[in-house]
Amino acid sequence: MSPSQKPRSSSRRSPSIDSVTTINADGSHRALHPADVHGRFTSWRRYSAYGLIGVYLLLPWIPIDGYPAVFLDVAGSRFHFFGFTLAAQDVWLLFFGVSGLGFALFFLTALFGRLWCGWACPQTVFLDHVYRRIERWIDGDAPSRRLLTAAPLSAGKISRRIAKHALYILASLLITHLFLAYFVSIPQLWSYVREAPREHWASFLFVFVAAGVLYFNFAWFREQLCIVICPYGRLQSALTDDHSLVIGYDATRGEPRGKIQQASSLPQAGDKTGDCVDCNRCVQVCPTGIDIRHGLQLECIGCAACIDACDEIMAKVKRPPGLVRYDSLAGLDGGVTRWLRARTVVYGILLLVGAAAATFAFSTVKPASFTVLRMSGAAYFVGADEVRNQFLVRLVNKRTAPVGLTVTAQGLPAGVRHTGFDAPVVVAPLAETVSPLVLLIDRRDYRGPFRFTVKVEGREGKIALKREVEFMGPDARLLEEDDHEKGIKR
Amino acid sequence: MKPPARPPEIKLRDHVYDGIREFDQRLPNWWLNTLYGAIIFWIVYWFVHVIAGMVPGDGSQVDAAMRRIAAIKMANSIDVTDDAKFWAMSRNAVFTDSGRQTYDSLCVACHLPSLKGKGENPTAVGPNLIDNAWIYGGTPREVYHTVSQGVLAKGMPAWEPVLGQKKTAEVVAYILAHHTEGEPVTVEISK
Repeated sequence: MSPSQKPRSSSRRSPSIDSVTTINADGSHRALHPADVHGRFTSWRRYSAYGLIGVYLLLPWIPIDGYPAVFLDVAGSRFHFFGFTLAAQDVWLLFFGVSGLGFALFFLTALFGRLWCGWACPQTVFLDHVYRRIERWIDGDAPSRRLLTAAPLSAGKISRRIAKHALYILASLLITHLFLAYFVSIPQLWSYVREAPREHWASFLFVFVAAGVLYFNFAWFREQLCIVICPYGRLQSALTDDHSLVIGYDATRGEPRGKIQQASSLPQAGDKTGDCVDCNRCVQVCPTGIDIRHGLQLECIGCAACIDACDEIMAKVKRPPGLVRYDSLAGLDGGVTRWLRARTVVYGILLLVGAAAATFAFSTVKPASFTVLRMSGAAYFVGADEVRNQFLVRLVNKRTAPVGLTVTAQGLPAGVRHTGFDAPVVVAPLAETVSPLVLLIDRRDYRGPFRFTVKVEGREGKIALKREVEFMGPDARLLEEDDHEKGIKR
Repeated sequence: MKPPARPPEIKLRDHVYDGIREFDQRLPNWWLNTLYGAIIFWIVYWFVHVIAGMVPGDGSQVDAAMRRIAAIKMANSIDVTDDAKFWAMSRNAVFTDSGRQTYDSLCVACHLPSLKGKGENPTAVGPNLIDNAWIYGGTPREVYHTVSQGVLAKGMPAWEPVLGQKKTAEVVAYILAHHTEGEPVTVEISK
């Protein structure tokens, strides 16, 4: 593989493990033109990417209980997930959502390496299955693209460039508009689109700045995001070990690499050459410009293009596939992959504990909530006949249907009566009401401050909330002395 | 597997620490440009905000916003000392209907749905709002004052901070709808 073997154009540099292929010696960005690749992983990745893009595009359109399937209504402080509605006061649950995703990613990374990067990351999904498809359609295959880039400006080249970038911009605008729809809903988005930009200038600015960032990222920046910016990619080396699944080259089988001997494509007894025919296909198809035969490198996003490329060649030269394959470093070295090991067990336990905590946390989210607050003014009132406490009860309906709630005070000592809440309170969907609750106790029955329970029930027992509240008042003996002085009979 | 040949343009620096050597490679231009861009942004930002003062500071922006809010509130506020206006409101169903809604959700707990309070049931908490005897004054502006500021010693909360001026005035209009302008008013001495 010495440079003298074949003259190379300046846009194709043989990868090295000491420098980044996509950055030239003068610091400029070297655009890659990965070759077309066919095979099972390429097909499966395409289907799964179309599925993921479909989910992204469709979620805001699917109504569940009158709201989009996922609707992060920031303006209304209500967050709808598949019919499950969270209010602003439930935002603490986000902690479990985010940490749960983190633990899941730890666990999956320890087992399967960069499965996320190659198969599910929006960067890869949109780049490989939207933007690169547009480029392939307009500019042709890798050699044509390389020729077109090197060609002088001509009417044909300009029109192709305009068409390609117009489609890039269109795709970026579609993606960002849909993203905004997750926060404002599709009908709202449609009304924004039809109104003048200054009516909703913040949303307008967001969509166009975000579309600009996406366009820059997918048209030019591309693999630089994975290589330099993405923290998950950088964290990989701390999460994986020799038994994690990676895409690797079986050096034992492949080396020493060499061209096929003319006589027979099958390895002969005593043949010194390995299975690698040094065709360079794995390098040509790599979207980050590495040579997988150099071993595991941080640029590898696990897209499996080199597996398909190598398998295709191996089939042609009638050698078994899997010279480049999904395997652990231990497996590639001829050993056995251990799935059960300290790292996966610890990450697995963390994931289970996190999942259990999240399940518990989400189960505490009730379809309604309430607070009991003392009214403004004194903590208690001593009247001629009774001691009085006044509260404001705030009822919050977190569901998208109206609900009738019964409020009762329980655990009250003898002689206590209360006013307010004689009939169930009907709270409108996603609304709240504030109503007074006044408790009175006859002076003669008063034995000092006590605690009682306010219960809120509704929907035939499906909603049952309670809260302990203190009835405040003077020391009972002071009241008794006061009565004695005034000559009130007890 | 033989180690791949190092391309000649990749330089190593001279120093060695514990056998570890350092590459001398150029950073990506886009990376350097973000750094230079950040430096330029800092200079422009510093000039605009600190030196030239072209953009008002956070404090004065907040003050300006608060003044705008106060102006809107003033523009929409009712003259709560205008008795005639309260009487006019008390004869307008738009005001009394929304006043009744507020009354039925909040005031009933003490003053009862009939507004009669202790006049209907001696064990009720609040006084009668329908008779001509008033404790803290019976002119509309005095009633408004009682409802909005409350009588904290007796347990009547201040409702304006909870309801706002408009809803408070509507409740007063609803109470006044049970009275007539110019009717005799007796003011009890507050205990």
